[in-house]
Amino acid sequence: MGIRIQKFAVSLFGLCCCLAAGLTFAAEDVRIGVLAWQGEEEAEVQWSSLVHGLEEKLPGRHIVLKHFNLEGMTTALQAGALDFVVTNPGHYVALEAESGITRIATQVAEASSDPGHVVGSAAVVLDRRRDLQSLDDLRGKTLAAVSPDAFGGYQLIWAELRRLGIDPERGGVNLLFTDFPMAQVVEAVRSGRVDAGVLRACLLESLERDGILPAGELRLLSPQQSASPCQVSSRLYPGWAFAAASGTSAALSRDVLFALLSLPANADGESWSVPADYHPVHELFKELQIGPYAFLRATSWDSLLRLYWPWLAGLILILLAWGGYTLHVEHLVQRRTRELTLALEERRSLEERVRSGQQQMDHLSRLSILGELSGTLAHELNQPLAAIGNYARSLLRRQDRGQLSAEALRQAAEEIAEESERAAGILGGIRAFAKKRSRVRQVCDIATLIRDTAALMRGIHAGAPELVLHDALDEAARRVDVDPLQIQQVLLNLLKNAWDAQLAIGSTQPIIVTLTREAERCAVDVRDHGMGLAPEVRDRLFEAFMTTKPDGLGLGLSICKTIVEAHGGELQARAADDGPGMVFRFSLPLATNPVADGEKT
Amino acid sequence: MNCPDQQPVIHVVDDEAPFRRSLLFLLESMGWHAVGHESAEAFLAAAPPFPAGGGCLVLDIRMPRVSGLELQRRLQATDSSFPIIFMTGHGDVELAVQAMKVGAVDFLQKPFKDQLFLDTVERAVQLSRERYAVTRRHHEARAVLDRLSVREWEVARLLAQGLANKEVARLLNISDNTVHVHRQHVMEKTGTGSAAELARLILRVDPGGLD
Repeated sequence: MGIRIQKFAVSLFGLCCCLAAGLTFAAEDVRIGVLAWQGEEEAEVQWSSLVHGLEEKLPGRHIVLKHFNLEGMTTALQAGALDFVVTNPGHYVALEAESGITRIATQVAEASSDPGHVVGSAAVVLDRRRDLQSLDDLRGKTLAAVSPDAFGGYQLIWAELRRLGIDPERGGVNLLFTDFPMAQVVEAVRSGRVDAGVLRACLLESLERDGILPAGELRLLSPQQSASPCQVSSRLYPGWAFAAASGTSAALSRDVLFALLSLPANADGESWSVPADYHPVHELFKELQIGPYAFLRATSWDSLLRLYWPWLAGLILILLAWGGYTLHVEHLVQRRTRELTLALEERRSLEERVRSGQQQMDHLSRLSILGELSGTLAHELNQPLAAIGNYARSLLRRQDRGQLSAEALRQAAEEIAEESERAAGILGGIRAFAKKRSRVRQVCDIATLIRDTAALMRGIHAGAPELVLHDALDEAARRVDVDPLQIQQVLLNLLKNAWDAQLAIGSTQPIIVTLTREAERCAVDVRDHGMGLAPEVRDRLFEAFMTTKPDGLGLGLSICKTIVEAHGGELQARAADDGPGMVFRFSLPLATNPVADGEKT
Repeated sequence: MNCPDQQPVIHVVDDEAPFRRSLLFLLESMGWHAVGHESAEAFLAAAPPFPAGGGCLVLDIRMPRVSGLELQRRLQATDSSFPIIFMTGHGDVELAVQAMKVGAVDFLQKPFKDQLFLDTVERAVQLSRERYAVTRRHHEARAVLDRLSVREWEVARLLAQGLANKEVARLLNISDNTVHVHRQHVMEKTGTGSAAELARLILRVDPGGLD
């Protein structure tokens, strides 16, 4: 939008100028801009014959000649202030591209009728510099020229040097630009400030002819065979162009063309001919990457940037977005990983806590069961100890009284041995029972465990009822991989519960323990002859702190269930099929390892 | 002691067989005749007579079904003369105190020293002998006095209180002669020679009988 407005403004400005010109000058004014390559004064002299000639050939038209440097002409053209321009081939090509001017004639030299081979360059040195013979000798030397934009004055020699592999742009030679007029270059060479200078073809001859320069003081490098009447160090290119501005009418262009072609040669023998092919100039510019081909130099980034910036911007945006997204994803992945690591860590520590908590719980439950038993425990343990003490004292007394018979000694000794074993049994069972321990698995015979537990219970409770074990299984079907103490704890709990249930109604019937095989499990039924439990109590039986006993903690069965389930088994309760009482059934997976390595020690 | 009838008997009632046997063995070591019972019911079923030589009952205060305290209560109802020694567990001191209030001679907290046990048994047996002697004299006096007729008993009480024949005749509103005859019968039947002896006999049966 901005660009369009600018163009509009420019056209408007141009229109205003035209109107102003129309008002100021007569309608016949023909405005011609010329490149003043040797300064304005020189240009006035150089082109006066052209102005006079055209005014002569175009009656009623007023020729207005304007002098410009390179940039000034471009600006004037864009402002629409010129109808025609006269400029060197290089500048023409540049303006053709920039401002849309069209050549209508090309200047030719006197001896040449070929408008395509007119302009050339001469690289000159002081004649006494014997060391400088060809352009190739300029490597590392200092070279003066008017301007980097001068066609015959620099660019042609630049191209020749490039073809020799000497690129002034890359420090192949040291450049000194003197600016116009070109005489400054001659002075620089003559003064020895530079090793060589670049002159437009024929300038050297012209200066010598005019006596400004002593003949033979300057000499050409690499003189070329050419169609030019003057010496040149470069190839020849089309001559100066006479071109119409884009807004100039075809009629005016035609009139001016006819006038030009009919003009006689000027003092230097130059005349106007049909327009030449400026293609070689294009080639040169392309080679040097200047003028309209300057963008090639910046094939480079800025030209691409200028052409493709929306794409580039889009690409960069996409890249940025992609990069951002990647970073984001990376960040997410890292965060998730961190979270996952933390979660795993937490889970592990939780499991550790649960594990140790369960050990605490097992321990606690053992203690709580001990606590429930402890009322009778001290008493029960005191009994054998007191009996032992009594026997020992009695023996001493009989000995003192001289009444110790062999029979009495034997009786006492037998009783002492029996009672001490009983006490040791109680203590041993209790100690192993109360000891806090880590998870262990041993292949055990379940029947052995039951018998050991029954013995332990009778050791603790003298009045415990009889236990009847129904065991119809073969040995392999009784092998379970368990923590023997934990399973004993479960059994002791169930047996104690059974006994309590029977005590409540004064039943002295034996507790029945039955072993059955249940697929890949061994099931243990503990059946009491108590009065049973109401269904609603039965449902909540395995909840922690649920108890039917006045002084119970309600932890026993919930712990039993936990233990059995930790062994991969189940604990269930049901009413007995035959008569009152409950059946507690727990099952344990059979040991897959047939080797019995861990019988109870 | 040579005579079996005169030998004291110690009964031990405890449901814990090994401990019970150890106590019997200990008592036998000191020459006591000891008998064990596995429960209160077993003791009641055996219903051993009180031995002439004395004896005592060593009773576990906690036993299934019939406890030691319950057995004590039942024995008191039958006017048994066995002194009772209770054996208690660690937390049973209150029960023991209660038992003492209703007549137990002592209690032993398990575990106890054998010497303490034997001393306690000794004391209880001694006490039982004393009690037995008192009881026997009481029984004898009762038997003597039971031979008197109602009128003779009235005369005997008054005479024992130190009244003269005349005073007895006046109080009972009978003749002096009749009193004299009753007095002679009383002296003959009771084998006493004086009012003082008669008074001692009566007091032996009933300490407040002359008030």
